[in-house]
Amino acid sequence: MIYPFWDEPVGYGILMAIIAVLHVFVSHFAIGGGLYLVITERRATRADDQATLEFLLRLSRFFVLITLVFGALSGVGIWFIIGLLAPTATEALIHNFVWGWAIEWTFFVVEITAAIIYYYGWNKLAAREHQIVGWIYFIFAWLSLVIINGIITFMLTPGRWLQTGNFWDGFFNPTYWPSLVMRTGVSLMLAGLYALLVASRYPTSDFKARTVRYTATWGVVGLGVTAVSQWWYWKAIPAAITTRAEQIMPVPIHAMHYTIWLAVAIGGLLVVFGLLAARRLPTAMAAILMVLGLAWFGSFESFRESVRKPYIITGYIYGNGAELARTNAYKSAGLLARIQYTTGDDGSDLFEHSCRSCHTLTGYRALKPAFDGTDRAYIAAIVRSTNLLKGNMPPFLGTTAEAEKIANYLYQRIDQRPLGEVYGLQGEALGRKAYEIRCGACHILGGATDKSKSFAGLGPDELNAMLDMSAELGKGMPAYTGGGPERAALVSFLQELGKQVKR
Amino acid sequence: MNLPDYEFLSAPLWLITVLHILTLTLHFVAMNFLFGGVIITLYAAVRRRWDDPTLKKFVRLFPSAMAATVTLGVAPLLFLQMVYPKQMYAAAIVSGWFWLLIIGVAIVVYYALYRCALKAERSGRISKLALGLAVLGLLYISLTYSSVFSMAERPGQIHGLYARDQSGWMWNPAAGDYVLRWLHMMLGAVTVGGFFVGLIGRDQPGAFALGKQFFVGGMVLATLAGMAYLLSLLPYLAAFMHTAAIWGLTVGMLLSFGSLHFFFKRRFWESGLMLFVSMLTMVYARHTVRLLKLTGQFDPISWRVAPQWSVFALFLICFVVMLAVVGYMLRLVFGAKRHAS
Repeated sequence: MIYPFWDEPVGYGILMAIIAVLHVFVSHFAIGGGLYLVITERRATRADDQATLEFLLRLSRFFVLITLVFGALSGVGIWFIIGLLAPTATEALIHNFVWGWAIEWTFFVVEITAAIIYYYGWNKLAAREHQIVGWIYFIFAWLSLVIINGIITFMLTPGRWLQTGNFWDGFFNPTYWPSLVMRTGVSLMLAGLYALLVASRYPTSDFKARTVRYTATWGVVGLGVTAVSQWWYWKAIPAAITTRAEQIMPVPIHAMHYTIWLAVAIGGLLVVFGLLAARRLPTAMAAILMVLGLAWFGSFESFRESVRKPYIITGYIYGNGAELARTNAYKSAGLLARIQYTTGDDGSDLFEHSCRSCHTLTGYRALKPAFDGTDRAYIAAIVRSTNLLKGNMPPFLGTTAEAEKIANYLYQRIDQRPLGEVYGLQGEALGRKAYEIRCGACHILGGATDKSKSFAGLGPDELNAMLDMSAELGKGMPAYTGGGPERAALVSFLQELGKQVKR
Repeated sequence: MNLPDYEFLSAPLWLITVLHILTLTLHFVAMNFLFGGVIITLYAAVRRRWDDPTLKKFVRLFPSAMAATVTLGVAPLLFLQMVYPKQMYAAAIVSGWFWLLIIGVAIVVYYALYRCALKAERSGRISKLALGLAVLGLLYISLTYSSVFSMAERPGQIHGLYARDQSGWMWNPAAGDYVLRWLHMMLGAVTVGGFFVGLIGRDQPGAFALGKQFFVGGMVLATLAGMAYLLSLLPYLAAFMHTAAIWGLTVGMLLSFGSLHFFFKRRFWESGLMLFVSMLTMVYARHTVRLLKLTGQFDPISWRVAPQWSVFALFLICFVVMLAVVGYMLRLVFGAKRHAS
């Protein structure tokens, strides 16, 4: 809140995902690819296998163009984007881990120098010296992962650091080792996938068959390491986080499931097209494997980013930049007192600093559809109890008056007609929509918070009475403020839910 | 709630400042080699001198120079964020899209330079266009950096700009703050580029003459732009005159002119060293101007210092290992070259 808020239309989650997922997809290849190149070169040199050495020369040009240019610059891009989207958290990370990053920089300098010398040294250096440079490249690329892994995992599981503030406690946090092994496995898998793309462009031949088979083995081994360590990683995350995610956070859980299905698909295709039908691996199939690899990484990063919710640094800074240590100050003095860059519109400033880092009005995780056809009082009640809604959102830390300012800001931007008119609905369809809008933000039908059982055997009068006292039914429940036709349709829908439970 | 406080410096301020100034100077050396080299090569290409072996050698070095510029730029950015996060992030957010576009532009520049390097034997129109594109890209990147980092020195201006527009499309309107400084830096880069062309082409009279032409001409123009920038700092000039930076700047200017003398005598080590030290003094002067502009609004001395000596010691060890391993690899390369010749 001490920083300005970047009001861009794309959505913070999308911007972050575009840069980060593409970066990790290349940067992990930069590690595994380095090992693939040097080990394969050593084998080929010993066997005096010129065809493989020419393949490696071709692969290393592809490797350099992808990793040195896109990999290196997208890595800087992550710095740029996190500073724009989450400046408070970035500042906290920089202050705590600056020497970690400085160490990583020294590895980065060696890595980049070695990559350039390795590529330009194919016909200039003696084979032994060339391989030494290849090993230097791989070792320092992997050491970069050793460092950055500590900072990435810290954000999800800061561990004892929250009590001690000690660098090493934060660095060697509970998910450090499983994540390091898993990312090493991913690096090996991606080395296989990238090299398969280059190998697939060769005409059908014995050379292609053995190169594809050898390369696919890298992919399968990497996938095996990834699968085992991913399970270890899941187990290393504190149960409080995973249990809550399973109960009320569909996004990370679905993302984790996708990683499993994508891993099965990658494994299956590697076995069939990489090991069994290696001679004829088409480029299109190698490209599909790359896309699946990218999708796997996208899903995993989506899991890692979203399971942290409501935090950006677990137990320390919320996703919207509010600091836990200042909770009492926010509650007593209000958020506006802390917001340093203002626009002159309190509602807008409060909305941006409280909600906008995860929600837009009409685009990414849009709020307008969630509030169209409702009213100020309902919106204010929802704002006050965000931490009770599905999705594990941060609590609203401002004052009641500030919640009303946000509600007013949103109300002016939504469709203010009655719900039935907004969607052109009536009867059961209107009742279902009213439930979705007014109740579904917490009570997901069929989910852990489904209250359908409590409607069993109730008639319209009892359900109406229940709506009248909804604000007293549970902590954070909003009063029911919907109009006549909407109310009647909702009552009818609730009654039907009750009947279904009874049946 | 008793949570750790993140508002601290994990090393004494002087140490971070020294590291920042040193790494920023190294970044400028690589950037000057790249930008100056691209400008001179483009000039030569337009004058139909593409076949000059020195320039071909230069073109082949551009991707490595770009890699060095990016890599050496990471460290000073890190140290800057550590001491001035509130100013820097705020300025970057207000110009968010321009700031983020730097990455996309840098990727395009990098690929354009690779295109030229991999086809260095050919002087086709595409190579010239790629070089032209690289120049435009580098100009955009440098101007955006100047705009954002100048804005970071005026928190009041950031407040005003943000109140007007929050979309990240605000460019620093106070051009007087940074255009002359930017021009001085660009001309300085051409100067240093001239030095490197002369150094690499020392055995070819044509290339040496071309390098000398840009070294001398660039230095005259850079000095004029630098003096104009100094005069534009009028409100801060009196205070600046009372800092050590004015002495540093004076020594730096003398060293710059001295480097010309040794360049003419083809004593490149002395000339290069003098040029490097003069750049160091200018970076220090720039740092001093930042502090003067922020006076009354922010003083880095106000940071709480809580050193992390164990991690810092590990950094120093890694730094020495980095120098040793890079030195070893360069020895392999130059050893192989000698062997081949």
